[in-house]
Amino acid sequence: MSTEASRIRLPAAYRPSPLAAIGSLLVLLVIVWLAVNLVKEPAEFYRLFLIGFTNGAVYGLVALGYSLVYGILELINFAHGDVFMLGGMLVATMVASWGLAGAGDAGLWFGILAMLLIAMAFCATINTTIELVAYRRLRGAPRLAPLITAIGMSFILQNIGLVWKGARPTSVDSILPTGDVFTVTLSGTSVAYTWRQFIVLLVTAPTLLLLIWLVQQTRQGKAMRATAQDQDAAAMMGINVNRTISFTFFIAGSLAGVAALLFALYTTTVHFTTGFRLGLIAFTAAVLGGIGNLPGAVLGAVLIGLIESFNNGLGWSTPGSDWTTSIIFAILIMILVFRPEGLLGERTPEGG
Amino acid sequence: MRRPDFSFDRDAFIRDSRPRVKKGLIAGAVGFLVIALLAGATFTLVLALLLGWLVYIPAWNRVPYGRVAVLTVALLAAVLYPYYQPDMFEIPVFGEFPTVDTAVTMMIFVMMALGLNIVVGYAGLLDLGYVAFYAMGAYTAAWFASPQFGESVKFHLGSVGVNPNAQGFHISIWLILILAAIFTAIIGVIIGLPTLRLRGDYLAIVTLGFGEIMPQIARNGDNLFNTGFNLTNGPQGINPIDPPGFGATLGNIGLPESYLTPGSDAFPFLSDSLRLYYWTALVLVLFTVFCSVRLRDSRLGRAWIAIREDETAAAAMGVPLMRTKTWAYAAGAFFGGIAGAYYASFKSGTFPDDFFFNISVFILCMVILGGMGNIWGVILGGSFLAYLNQEGLGNIGGWLNDHFSGQRGAEWVQLWSTDIDVPLYQYGIFGVILVIVMLFKPEGLIPSARRKAEFEEGVADQPLYDVSH
Amino acid sequence: MRKGGFWFLVAFVFGVLAFAAAGCGGDDDGGGGGVTALPSASCGAIRYEGEGDPDYLIASDLPLQGANRALTTEMADAIEFILKQRDWKAGDYKIGYQSCDDSTAQAGSWDSAKCSSNARAYANNEDVIGVIGTFNSGCAKLEIPVNNRAPDGPLAMISPANTYPGLTIGGPGTEQGEPDNYYPTGKRNYARVVWNDQFQGAAGAQLAQDLKLKKVYVLTDKETYGNGIANLFVRYAKKLGVQTLPGTPQAWDKNASSYEAIASRIQASGADAVFLGGIVCNNGGKLIKDLRAGLGANVTIVGPDGWTPISATVQGAGQAAEGMYITQPGIPPDRLKGAGKKFVDDFTAEVGHAPDPYTNYAAQAAQIMLDSIADSDGTRPKVAEGLFNRDVKDGILGDFKIDENGDTTLGTVAVFRIQGGKGVFNKLITPELSFVKG
Repeated sequence: MSTEASRIRLPAAYRPSPLAAIGSLLVLLVIVWLAVNLVKEPAEFYRLFLIGFTNGAVYGLVALGYSLVYGILELINFAHGDVFMLGGMLVATMVASWGLAGAGDAGLWFGILAMLLIAMAFCATINTTIELVAYRRLRGAPRLAPLITAIGMSFILQNIGLVWKGARPTSVDSILPTGDVFTVTLSGTSVAYTWRQFIVLLVTAPTLLLLIWLVQQTRQGKAMRATAQDQDAAAMMGINVNRTISFTFFIAGSLAGVAALLFALYTTTVHFTTGFRLGLIAFTAAVLGGIGNLPGAVLGAVLIGLIESFNNGLGWSTPGSDWTTSIIFAILIMILVFRPEGLLGERTPEGG
Repeated sequence: MRRPDFSFDRDAFIRDSRPRVKKGLIAGAVGFLVIALLAGATFTLVLALLLGWLVYIPAWNRVPYGRVAVLTVALLAAVLYPYYQPDMFEIPVFGEFPTVDTAVTMMIFVMMALGLNIVVGYAGLLDLGYVAFYAMGAYTAAWFASPQFGESVKFHLGSVGVNPNAQGFHISIWLILILAAIFTAIIGVIIGLPTLRLRGDYLAIVTLGFGEIMPQIARNGDNLFNTGFNLTNGPQGINPIDPPGFGATLGNIGLPESYLTPGSDAFPFLSDSLRLYYWTALVLVLFTVFCSVRLRDSRLGRAWIAIREDETAAAAMGVPLMRTKTWAYAAGAFFGGIAGAYYASFKSGTFPDDFFFNISVFILCMVILGGMGNIWGVILGGSFLAYLNQEGLGNIGGWLNDHFSGQRGAEWVQLWSTDIDVPLYQYGIFGVILVIVMLFKPEGLIPSARRKAEFEEGVADQPLYDVSH
Repeated sequence: MRKGGFWFLVAFVFGVLAFAAAGCGGDDDGGGGGVTALPSASCGAIRYEGEGDPDYLIASDLPLQGANRALTTEMADAIEFILKQRDWKAGDYKIGYQSCDDSTAQAGSWDSAKCSSNARAYANNEDVIGVIGTFNSGCAKLEIPVNNRAPDGPLAMISPANTYPGLTIGGPGTEQGEPDNYYPTGKRNYARVVWNDQFQGAAGAQLAQDLKLKKVYVLTDKETYGNGIANLFVRYAKKLGVQTLPGTPQAWDKNASSYEAIASRIQASGADAVFLGGIVCNNGGKLIKDLRAGLGANVTIVGPDGWTPISATVQGAGQAAEGMYITQPGIPPDRLKGAGKKFVDDFTAEVGHAPDPYTNYAAQAAQIMLDSIADSDGTRPKVAEGLFNRDVKDGILGDFKIDENGDTTLGTVAVFRIQGGKGVFNKLITPELSFVKG
């Protein structure tokens, strides 16, 4: 019994153990696997890197919303992915009804900007409303009660999506520019970095920076951090906790709106189940990076994107797309076993 | 467990009954009004309400043998359900009482919910991958009681309802239930091991991971790692799975040889296969309830609750964290395994599609909605949600159409002219029910005494600021 | 233990029991009058508009929730349409119809528990004389044995959509013991109007040979249908000497948000064609878009009838679907003649759009079921027997026979090519029976 108690006090990850040896071996294997593939087919490797990186950036935008809400309420907001899905459907509707597919350059960019704002407002409104209806009443309730309302809201939103766009996936016209930003030729094969991919990066990176600035530098951000740390103390310091939480949901919703626009335009397909699945991946990414840590969420998402893409696409002794989900989660489990606080998470008594 | 009190204290009886009369009267009046409004007051319904009310009023626990009597009657009511179910009145909005068929499914889900309750409700470890245990149980039954490994094996052990020449493993379902429980408990420990160092939602995500990996193994298991070894038969699933039964020896004294072809001259009431499945499920549920109660009141159970309340404090007080948590996973998985194996045998097949993440969430909803940590609450939550999923949602939709659809004569107000397509909205109705129940009963339908106390006395994180309600 | 809640539960149960002991029956409102309705939890109200009350019920068993509901609701409509056309009669018997759902909200598709519970409901309701279904082969595997063992003799089932071979015959793509293990009484009670996957897998392989494809990459959605047909395609392609890439079939995850990496791998493998064993509902549009974008226009994409209706594929994939080949067993809807053409026209007039191929199958299945009831003496075993060795003349799908196994003899597979956003008829393939069975 005394050994159990001492285990709590010692940072277990730093003690040499058979577990750590197995872990190092596995990491080594993954590195060898990547290296061999890189040497054998460099062009292929580079292309898959671009694909995975871009997909990961899209996941990252959704993951940021999860991370924000989780940071402040310790609530896995299962409905977040579905808010994002409804935003995607709205974008699909707008693209079709505004006839953006044939629009000229100026009209196109103006249209995209307008859609961005509308989607952000739309998702932010839904998200804030959900908080008001389903979570606020449960502020003092047992911790898992809001989890169930979140699941309930997720089902409701999915049903709305189903009724709105039907059971089949909705196709969105491809309106992003098709050209290449630059092309790299590796061992005879040229691989292009397309504008489609670059635009995803162009949106995700500034959003992340803006969000970090918001949380770290502004008064509102300070209030958010204070509320996240201790709601009672924050209230005593004169922070309007309810308003701060609403604001957080508003920001998370706007992020879902950005992600929705990007997802709809980049992947060009929206389905009523899209949100639940992507939400699961995004939540996983947020945990992987360290819950509540914003750059961590994006890092986790990019990592998942890369794992997915390498596993689906690499040629040499790759398990292949049959096993993608398993591999994502196996790697997740391994990372959490060795770094229980996530990749960039802080080592707190609660987190590890 | 307290010994039942056999002395009759008249004063205490009256004292305890009195507030229930008052409360009962108000609740009864309101309930009656609502029901009369919704269903139209049929004679049978009023009678049922009245009887229920009369039964509710006396403080039975103050009557000698009262507690035993009530338990016996409840048990009897459950045992006889298949006989009186067809003659039951219609519940307002929800329609007919669940069929025996649905009742079996409900009880199987209740078992799973009780298993998860050990992990989530007792030990406070959020598990989002409980479906993995259900899958393990189901596939154990599928491997050892079906033609799955027929190409290389022929092994019969107490099998019933199977051609004696049939290839593959055919082990009696009773043995398989034990086998599945132990096997799944071992898997539970394996899943538990890497999570032992994690807390809170980091743990949830790891269990979620196992819950995602398990069905993928089932899906790809027809050619595992390109070796050609067919473990799970892939997307085709494994079927038929043997039915339970008592075999030829016991069949001679009148017990059903096999549940699928029961027929018994000595005991005619045993000749209905559905009833047999029902009673068996009931026995399994009772076993689970018994174990849950005993576990909760044991030393181990108190250690779980200590960990749930404050892990660090529990460790400081000498509770071995590793061992206690591992036992929670093992115990939770144990019942998931039994339920999964019995379900597979009841359905006579198992498919990878049965084990989605949704099912984990669904079982978790049962536990939390019913009242985490409270066995009766979890039973209620489990039966309610399983019923909704199997029958209730369809019935509610039918009720909505009856009352609001022009096509069916709109009993109340015509809100839409042609019948709404009920299956289209079932998912949403399910969500609405979850949200409403949680908003009005945040601590669950029947909260555990400890949690209720925390909630009411504000031991739980009660905010100081105004939360506008 | 909190006493109040517990006592309430107990009291409720007790009240219920005491009430039942008093022997009071509830009121039973069967919508169809003379017959007992199937439980409203899974089945819609009885549809019957004929004279008086129906003598028997037929039920359809389809997943009405989830991704396939676009298809299945239309199939249920078609069955009702056929009944209406025949004045709710099969010979001398008046027939009511109930559309039952074998899916649940949680599963979002067919649910194995619901399937077996539905089957028990059909088997135990003596007014049910026939079942049209199921949609999913996995569901059929559970329902056939239960209905086979029904109390009043085997209950007839006819499926408009099950393509898994092992339900009716052995041979390639089936398992040991099939199909006998689905018929515990030894008597057959299940037939279907679609050709099984063996036939379509063979036709797909022949098409690949005709198109002179050298290396085919095989993808599957890893569901019962998709996985089965992908494996059969590989098997028959091997026989014809068409090379399929090792390590295939590979899965495409219907929940993934992009398939570019898979396209990249296919490109690196040097394949000149891709066979997609699966259904368009499983994110097929996105898959084709990504394949086309990654592989260019020169790679041939071939899909089985899971990619019908072709309009859904075109709608999902847009321009990217151009040039894709889709095989479709039986005669295509717009090439139907006689009764088939009339049905398509009438049904289009009724619902406002052209029916899916599966809708035609559902209508054909309903016709055969009604014919079989008309020819029977009104008992379950006779109706079940009547399904087999039945000649269909001028049926909705044309002239064909249901053989002694319950399979159709309509052995042609139509090939379409998507051109200009439409499925253009390419040719008919009729694989040799010896090739399919061998």
